[in-house]
Amino acid sequence: MSSQRQASSASQVPHLSPAELSYLYTSLSLPKNPIRPDGRSPTQFRPLSAETTILPGTNGSARIGFADGTQAIVGVKAEVEKTVLAADTLDSRSLAQHGDALNREGEEGSAAVSGQGEWVQMSIEIPGFRDDDALPVFLSEMMRESLVGSVAGGDVDGAKEMAGGLKGRLVINKRWHWRLYIDVLLLSQPLAYPLPLLSLTTHLALLSTKLPKLKSTGEEDPFFDDDWAAAEYLYPRSNTSDPSLSAAPSYPVRPPVTLLVIAVGENVIFDPNREEIAVADAVLAISVTRSSDSETLKLLSIRSIDPPSRLTQPGIPNSENVNMIGATAAPGEESGGQEEVEGVWRPRRGGVKRGVIARMVKTVLGKGGVGEEVLEGLEGVEVQ
Amino acid sequence: MPLDTSTTYPLTRLRLDGRRWNELRLLQAQISTNPASSGSSYLSMGNTSIMCSVHGPAEGRRGDGGSAGSGHAVVEVDVNVAGFAGVDRKRRAGGSDRQSSRIATTLRSAFQSHLHTYLYPHSTISIHVSVLSADGSLLAAALNACTLALVDAGIPMPGLLCGCTSGMSGSASTPRDPRHDELDPLLDLSLPEEQELPSLTVATTTAVPVGENNMDEDEEAMKVCVLTMESKVHATYLETMLAVGIDGCSQIRELLEGVIKGSRG
Repeated sequence: MSSQRQASSASQVPHLSPAELSYLYTSLSLPKNPIRPDGRSPTQFRPLSAETTILPGTNGSARIGFADGTQAIVGVKAEVEKTVLAADTLDSRSLAQHGDALNREGEEGSAAVSGQGEWVQMSIEIPGFRDDDALPVFLSEMMRESLVGSVAGGDVDGAKEMAGGLKGRLVINKRWHWRLYIDVLLLSQPLAYPLPLLSLTTHLALLSTKLPKLKSTGEEDPFFDDDWAAAEYLYPRSNTSDPSLSAAPSYPVRPPVTLLVIAVGENVIFDPNREEIAVADAVLAISVTRSSDSETLKLLSIRSIDPPSRLTQPGIPNSENVNMIGATAAPGEESGGQEEVEGVWRPRRGGVKRGVIARMVKTVLGKGGVGEEVLEGLEGVEVQ
Repeated sequence: MPLDTSTTYPLTRLRLDGRRWNELRLLQAQISTNPASSGSSYLSMGNTSIMCSVHGPAEGRRGDGGSAGSGHAVVEVDVNVAGFAGVDRKRRAGGSDRQSSRIATTLRSAFQSHLHTYLYPHSTISIHVSVLSADGSLLAAALNACTLALVDAGIPMPGLLCGCTSGMSGSASTPRDPRHDELDPLLDLSLPEEQELPSLTVATTTAVPVGENNMDEDEEAMKVCVLTMESKVHATYLETMLAVGIDGCSQIRELLEGVIKGSRG
């Protein structure tokens, strides 16, 4: 039972004494400038190494390794599948439009048919966990829903194929569609909550994912180009080879990134390690993506994650400690022992101020904020 | 579907991927790939690629029963074939499948008896094998990857344990024809060959020198320590297949030694 509780919670609670927890909490909650155990600034990420297109047998793949040795490998595979027609099939008018679009642009015209979220399947392998344990299932669903839910608005250049979001991109024609399998492999026991690692790796793998070029048109059975060199990226790229435009994002639409943010006191801290999560007041998973029509980032989802600080052992203030009775001045004043005593650890009972959440979101989304920084950093990874 | 090899191989003497009968696929390996584990390795044989990490020797888990309390270290092996490893994405009905659990059992029994486990009483050596891409000879590649990771972890063993597959092309289910004495053994099978032809996996290691006479031998004596076969073949062909496999193992041993000594094999 207790192991199950731990698995569903943010991560295994590290073996820290109440005194250590209290020390960590105090230094992390220092007003304005928290002191983190590894000396990072609140918005600084751990260094990581990344590479893409590492597995020749997949449509797209990526590997990311943190400096502490946790590594994840993501492989994306796509299969063609027959669409089971839903009740709300298209009427002939929109079908005609669909055909027009095809003739005019020679493109897939995926805007005419909307995709289904279940075409994207995600599974996460974590050593030491079964497939159907709470942690892998929760993580995969959390990442899948933001992936499926991200719909790009407007049709700026290059974003035409992505008009229906990822779901729309998977439509081949009315009767056929792609099914996307995203398999995430964590290569070592998670040292911290693995969500940011898995999310960044999935992001890179999806960016490197290619689908074979469609040769058939319209409602024919799909027929693809044999040449893998002609394959098209799942997330299309704007082919601006002009160096003067290099400032513009090379991907009009990008898969979402889920960031892990914790609040300690009034402070907002990014990419927490295991010890930092253990004293967090609140743990949030924030999914963002770049919308195609504007420069700013778009918030897709916020999920709160059960903070493991709930499960830690409380410290006992001197006033309540049986061994210390007599040594302290006035033991009789203490009531229920529920209030905070300076320097004594109390398990967090959850709850966070609205202002703190607002600041968390603002730090992620703001101009030049953490979200942009992460996306830019990922863009720097060479995707051949 | 008959394999192309069966029609073209007798004519060209070249296999599907252009190799001759006694050629290995390109073997590349690295050690110390994952700093979070005691030892780790990455090994690819052709399109088969495997990552392996070793944790331990460490104190065994409590509630492990009597096994951890013995005077020897216990080897635990966990094999995970990734969903994207094969040509088609494998649908798994939860838990592990037959193939990976069979590989895990073979690896466990091979390394349990191979390693000097008596040096680490009451402890556990856990090996985690992830198959990233599967193209035949999985067990052999896993054996080689595990050996490298265990060497990286510094766990004493009498010698490198190297695995290889060998197969037999042609009509291997009928007895050998004594008048027409030609055999077509193949070394290091890829997946299409493995599916069509009878094949065996053999792993060898250096025999521990026993007695005075063995100390001054020039040639290292080899000992077969793993031998599995999952297909049918007539007994008359077995000896040739075994000989080809053992020869492949010694080629792989040289490559792995090169990797360990730092010059990439």
